[in-house]
Amino acid sequence: MTNEPRHDAFNERSGRDSASGDDPDSMSLGDLLDQGGEIGGLVGEPSEDDTSGGSQARKLRFTADGREYFRIWIVNVALTLLTLGIYSAWAKVRARRYLYGSVWLGDAAFDYTANPVAILRGRILVATVLVLLWVAQLFSIVYYYAALLALMPLVPWVVVRARSFQMRNSRHRGIALDFRGKYWDAAVWYPLSWAASLATLGLARPFTVFGRDRFLVEESRFGAEPFSFAGKPRPYYGMYVVTAIVVGVLYVGGLVALFVAITASIMATGSDPGDASLDMRLFLLAMVAIAAAISLFILAYLRTRLLSYRWSNTRLGEDTFSLALSFSKMLWLYVSNAALIIGTSGLFIPFARIRVLRYVVGQFSVIQTDTERMFEAGETQSVAATGAEAAGEFGLEIGI
Amino acid sequence: MIAREGLEELVVHENVRIPARVADTPRYIHLPDGGVCEVQDNDALDAAHARTRPDAESRADRFGRLRHRLDSTWRGAAAALAVTAAILYSFTEWGAPAVATVAVAATPPEVEAVIGDNLLTLFEQLRFLEPSELSPNRRNELLAAFEEMCRETGIENADLRFHSVGAPNAFAVPGGTVVLTDLLVELAEDDEEIIAVLAHELGHVSGRHVMRRVAQTSSMLVLWTAFTGDVSVATLSILGPDRLLAQRYSRSFERDADRFAFDYLLSAGIPPTRLSDIVGRLSGAGREAGARAGGSPLDWLSSHPGAAERARNAEEAAKQADGGEPADE
Repeated sequence: MTNEPRHDAFNERSGRDSASGDDPDSMSLGDLLDQGGEIGGLVGEPSEDDTSGGSQARKLRFTADGREYFRIWIVNVALTLLTLGIYSAWAKVRARRYLYGSVWLGDAAFDYTANPVAILRGRILVATVLVLLWVAQLFSIVYYYAALLALMPLVPWVVVRARSFQMRNSRHRGIALDFRGKYWDAAVWYPLSWAASLATLGLARPFTVFGRDRFLVEESRFGAEPFSFAGKPRPYYGMYVVTAIVVGVLYVGGLVALFVAITASIMATGSDPGDASLDMRLFLLAMVAIAAAISLFILAYLRTRLLSYRWSNTRLGEDTFSLALSFSKMLWLYVSNAALIIGTSGLFIPFARIRVLRYVVGQFSVIQTDTERMFEAGETQSVAATGAEAAGEFGLEIGI
Repeated sequence: MIAREGLEELVVHENVRIPARVADTPRYIHLPDGGVCEVQDNDALDAAHARTRPDAESRADRFGRLRHRLDSTWRGAAAALAVTAAILYSFTEWGAPAVATVAVAATPPEVEAVIGDNLLTLFEQLRFLEPSELSPNRRNELLAAFEEMCRETGIENADLRFHSVGAPNAFAVPGGTVVLTDLLVELAEDDEEIIAVLAHELGHVSGRHVMRRVAQTSSMLVLWTAFTGDVSVATLSILGPDRLLAQRYSRSFERDADRFAFDYLLSAGIPPTRLSDIVGRLSGAGREAGARAGGSPLDWLSSHPGAAERARNAEEAAKQADGGEPADE
């Protein structure tokens, strides 16, 4: 594992900065933690800070324990079920407080300060919308798409709300992160860019993901200090080309194998009628297997690469970040976690989450060139960020 | 809050709210002046809180303490696990069927018909269903028998469609449409067997089983999402137990439909064993096909009770009606 900054990316940056000049921006701890949230750590080793050539790489430490998290999780589940779901907002906050409080930078851990009532309000809103969509699709898929289209103008609002809520409630040394994205910028990088991707049959997709990342990073702040983004569109094309090729091979290969299998079984059984719906079931089962392989690859490769690239090209003042995740390691974590989760009817979920987090957090480091400053930069300006908190009455948490 | 010398003399001021403890993670105390104080020694903080503000404990503070006691010991976790298991079990056993009854009763028949039509259209588009090759005369004979059956049993919304599928089969879709495949018509030794199968499907229509099944499985998915806290993880962990559950629901629907068929067959003077005769041949054909395709890896997906069990039930139904006489073939 390397703590070396990505020099190629850094060198390209200088030209970029001015282009996005007045956009401050960001990236939150939530992004890291959400990586583990998809499918499911123990005590991390004490950080070994690397000092070389005037800059210092400080690794994050992760001190969560799978058994401890299991207990928190199962009590959360029991209370959520007993209260018909109402407690889920409090459960969310407690689990997050545990996870954030287990991630250390230097001698201070992160802090999650969300108000559960705000999260509950957000969840009720989201649940209402989902139920309406579900009812719409019962009638006709046309109503469903019409309803989706009608919801589009809300998407940028939700993106900005969700992001600022998450960031403003993430703190380190008492300093909150912040997100100042504007509705129209979010509109460009979410619904409008989806339309652009569709219209170009996906060719514009890597560019829009690049734009979205830049938007998310550059609108974020730590205290009053904006983050900046040094990424380029080109690497996004690289990642998407690899993904498209592998997904294509999995899809076409899977279908060919399926048709060979079905043809072989029909030829073997001859004119004999088969099981009532054997073909249909075999077909559905194979489709599920192909879809699973594809989503596994997207999780272990594309999402991981995107996350690594985004963080490795983010900077905060003089500080840069490095996140180096290995595809094979992530693939192994996801596959083994999925198997253990299925095998234990879900009881392995908390352990799985900690396993992924322990790896991801352990691969993350902050590279500081000005070691005197030590990440405390925002301290004096932190009051500005707290004022914005009042705006977070809705705890919308949606992964888009 | 004032901290001196290792927190022994820590004093918790009345204007300060201490956040609930989570395991042994540090706590951040937000001071009224906007400052923040980080405390890593949780035991000392709790002791100071109790010592200096013994009666200032709010409900939230008390719940926070209880919550910490629950998830800091294995006893608390075991209790939570027991509660969770009990809720999951009772919901599966009684909750989901009850929810389904209410949901199905609340679904207007028109909506159900629309869902069924969408499903059939989809099947046709996927080429699972091809046009039937039965002669119009043959179809009219079977339609007449079906209509007669609907009149006898008082079911108004049912209709029968003929299709060609790669297998002998008959199934009911939401809204009351029954699909009969050409191969099943061929496989039947006589019309009594076809009537028996149609009566069974009419049992599904009468119980609105497809809708019940959709409602039961989706209410289970909601519950499992609450359990796992995440839809994607829920779908993953549900793969094991839920498949089995769904099939258990399905098997009980099949038994209901069989009972419905037996009643009709008896009233029409047809021995209930005619149903199990054709079911036996159907599953025999299925097993053979499965074995030739290389074992039967799909057995766990079995949605119907075993043919032997269904034959036993048919014989019993016949015996009860005939006062113990052995059922004739």
